[in-house]
Amino acid sequence: MDMEFIRNLQGWGYVAMIFGLTIGFYAYIYHLYKSQKDGVKDYEKYSRMALNDDIDDSLVESLHPQNNKKINRSVKDELAE
Amino acid sequence: MQSSSAINYDYTVAKYFTVATIVLGIVGMTVGVIIAFQLAFPELNNLFGEYGTFGRLRPIHTDGVAFGFTVSGVMATWYYVGQRVLKVSMAESKFLMFIGKLQFWLYVVLVASVVVSLLLGITTSKEYAEFEWPIDILVVIVWVLWGVSIFGLIGIRREKVLYISVWYYIATFLGVAMLYVFNNMEVPTYFVSGMGDWYHSVSMYAGSNDAMVQWWYGHNAVAFVFTVPIIAMIYYFLPKESGQPIFSYKLSLLSFWGLMFVYLWAGGHHLLYSTVPDWVQTMGSIFSIILILPSWGSAINMLLTMKGEWGQLRENPLIKFYVLASTFYMLSTLEGPIQAIKSVNALAHFTDWIPGHVHDGTLGWVGFMIIGAIFHMAPRMFKREIFSKKLIETQFWLQTTGIVMYFTSMWIAGITQGMMWRATDQYGNLSYSFIDTVEVLHPYWTLRAVGGLFYLIGVFMWAYNMYKTATSSKAIEKEPQYASPMA
Amino acid sequence: MFHWLEKNPFFFAVGVFLVIAYAGIVTIVPDFMESARPLKGTKPYTALQIAGRQIYIANGCNTCHSQLIRPFKSETDRYGKYSLSGEYAYDRPFLWGSRRIGPDLHRVGNYRTTDWNENHMLDPEAVVPGSVMPKYGFMFKKSIDFKTAYAEAYTVKKVFNVPYDKPGMPKLGSYEQAKKAAFTQAGKIVADMRNQGVKDAYKKGDIKEIVAIIAYLNSLK
Ligand code: HEC
Ligand code: HEM
Repeated sequence: MDMEFIRNLQGWGYVAMIFGLTIGFYAYIYHLYKSQKDGVKDYEKYSRMALNDDIDDSLVESLHPQNNKKINRSVKDELAE
Repeated sequence: MQSSSAINYDYTVAKYFTVATIVLGIVGMTVGVIIAFQLAFPELNNLFGEYGTFGRLRPIHTDGVAFGFTVSGVMATWYYVGQRVLKVSMAESKFLMFIGKLQFWLYVVLVASVVVSLLLGITTSKEYAEFEWPIDILVVIVWVLWGVSIFGLIGIRREKVLYISVWYYIATFLGVAMLYVFNNMEVPTYFVSGMGDWYHSVSMYAGSNDAMVQWWYGHNAVAFVFTVPIIAMIYYFLPKESGQPIFSYKLSLLSFWGLMFVYLWAGGHHLLYSTVPDWVQTMGSIFSIILILPSWGSAINMLLTMKGEWGQLRENPLIKFYVLASTFYMLSTLEGPIQAIKSVNALAHFTDWIPGHVHDGTLGWVGFMIIGAIFHMAPRMFKREIFSKKLIETQFWLQTTGIVMYFTSMWIAGITQGMMWRATDQYGNLSYSFIDTVEVLHPYWTLRAVGGLFYLIGVFMWAYNMYKTATSSKAIEKEPQYASPMA
Repeated sequence: MFHWLEKNPFFFAVGVFLVIAYAGIVTIVPDFMESARPLKGTKPYTALQIAGRQIYIANGCNTCHSQLIRPFKSETDRYGKYSLSGEYAYDRPFLWGSRRIGPDLHRVGNYRTTDWNENHMLDPEAVVPGSVMPKYGFMFKKSIDFKTAYAEAYTVKKVFNVPYDKPGMPKLGSYEQAKKAAFTQAGKIVADMRNQGVKDAYKKGDIKEIVAIIAYLNSLK
């Protein structure tokens, strides 16, 4: 393989990567906003994690999925079980 | 509310690292001020024999502020923020507590050996990677311990989703690990030849390759030490201190990926290929620009978070620190790409414009964010009010003045010297000898040193304020929810 | 697809890793293959020059001096021919530097002599008024660490096949041979120097740092 050939391969490979990343990335943007709009998933509520971060504050989404229906669960409740 | 549940967050390790941040900030920046004065007044080189020359001290400054001040700041905030957003206490795991403390003490050993070895002139000379192999091994150990701590805490979390700041801490961990290992590949000479200093080594890469790896590292080390973890901080501390949720959480996710892609690979400057058709190259450039757009999202997201709440900027000095930090972040991410333009770079490279640019980012963005974050943590860690609001205000204005002096003088110095190097007379001969271009810099170097001194005095004020807060300020009964209480 | 990835963090991580690995290969490997072939006529450093280079590094001369002449007329007029990649083939580590507080040194051996360097290193300000370079008087007192210099030369020869002892290339040989050669080489420099302390030490078989660093500076051409 001569250097010229490798350089060309690199050029195409690089362009392919940039295309791929850009398309994937904008698809992700679409996904995020669509899911939010259709009510599939509410991403914005996660910003509460910084604000309600006292150990006694309620969890935004518990790691134990069965608990998620009970509203306003806090660490205290989880410890109590 | 206090202690109604059985557990509380445990800030032991966060406190350790807070002390380290302050101490190393003082050390690193004092050395910075010394070397700045050495350029203006070269007799200062000779105060401590061979140990006090500019060449020996400069790496102590750069490593001291990058791996000392900044990294301890990152650790201090991680051991604080990590628990809170995952809603799990370090006290719940003896193992993690042990790892955290071990990491801290090894880090102290590490810092001490770095300072001593650099003073002795034991260095590989590669910027931000000056340490010889035994210290590199220690670096890896400390870093792995941090990884254990991050993933350990995530493993026992209660909150299902990882808050965006945690993403950034993880990225810092992985990014630095990868970069550091590749750039520091070296062969210890003692083990091959059986003689000479046992700690000496020689780089695995030679010449241009060594330079390539080093710059790939240098550029990204800036990304992963001076940008990524600082964004982690601002995504937590700004909302928390102001009581405003992030303007758009989705935008924060997007800018995370935007930043990762852009920083690591998609700089666009690689596109100088021989026979690839022109239109392909053009498309490549266009797409890399489209890709860059969201990486600015972070800064805008932060400023928009304050929407409708700008009154806080007047009332609360910590908000001042955060908002000015994000402004400086925008400034330096704008300036960086400008310097990357070929013709601008031809002028700017090797001149003072580069340190000028670096310090916009480090003093304004990194320094202010860390100082502001630690002020926010203080009342929660020590259960006392911040000692003096007035002192914070003074510190803020003094340091802001220092930064402005620093970067304006360096811009002028850099452009002046760059122009003088290339100036020719009517016959095409160079107009200036090298020393002419050094002598003109004297006033700017003096101004920069004084600006740096202002900033350093601010750091001392911060240290004093923190000391008073921890020891003798008024106690508070209940943890403040948002704005930090201060006297 | 994104829904699935959000629920399967493991595959998510694998995906990210693949992207990074691919990107690394595309952007770095070809550049790596291309550079780093030595130019014809480029020779590895002698052990004495390596000792000098180690002193250069230990004292952070590279924090103030670059060794990279860029292909602009203003630079080639000032410093000489612009630098080529192959000239650095034996530089471990590279010493291009990032800031020119002092002038570029990549070809300083062409226009600065041993006695100029001797005076300048002792007191730069006396030779070039207005200089901000530190004084390096201690180099006239400190002896070189030849063992470590030899260890480095030996290591690059063994591990990276640097062509010592090949026809037309510098000799390295055993430690004793190298030491003798370094002593001869140092003698030529000491003869051009004035400092009595350095001369006396040389007579006793002791090479001072200043001699080695001048040997290194003289080799930069
Ligand atoms: C504080 C920055 C600084 C450091 C550190 C420094 N120099 Fe210099 N050096 C300068 C400046 C400024 C000049 C230009 C004025 C002069 O010639 O003294 C210079 C000039 C030189 C010159 C003359 C180059 C020419 O083209 O005239 C040589 C050779 C040199 N330095 C070698 C060294 C060596 C070897 C070291 C390390 C031991 C070193 N310098 C460390 C700042 C520095
Ligand atoms: C107290 C204020 C400070 C002063 C006076 C100061 C001064 C200096 C000086 C004189 C240099 C050398 C520039 C040159 O070689 O021309 C430098 C380099 C550097 N400093 Fe600072 N500094 C300060 C604070 C900081 C902080 C807080 C950080 C990071 C958090 C930082 C990061 C750096 C870096 C990364 C470099 C290397 C730049 C390069 O390679 O071009 N500095 N500083």
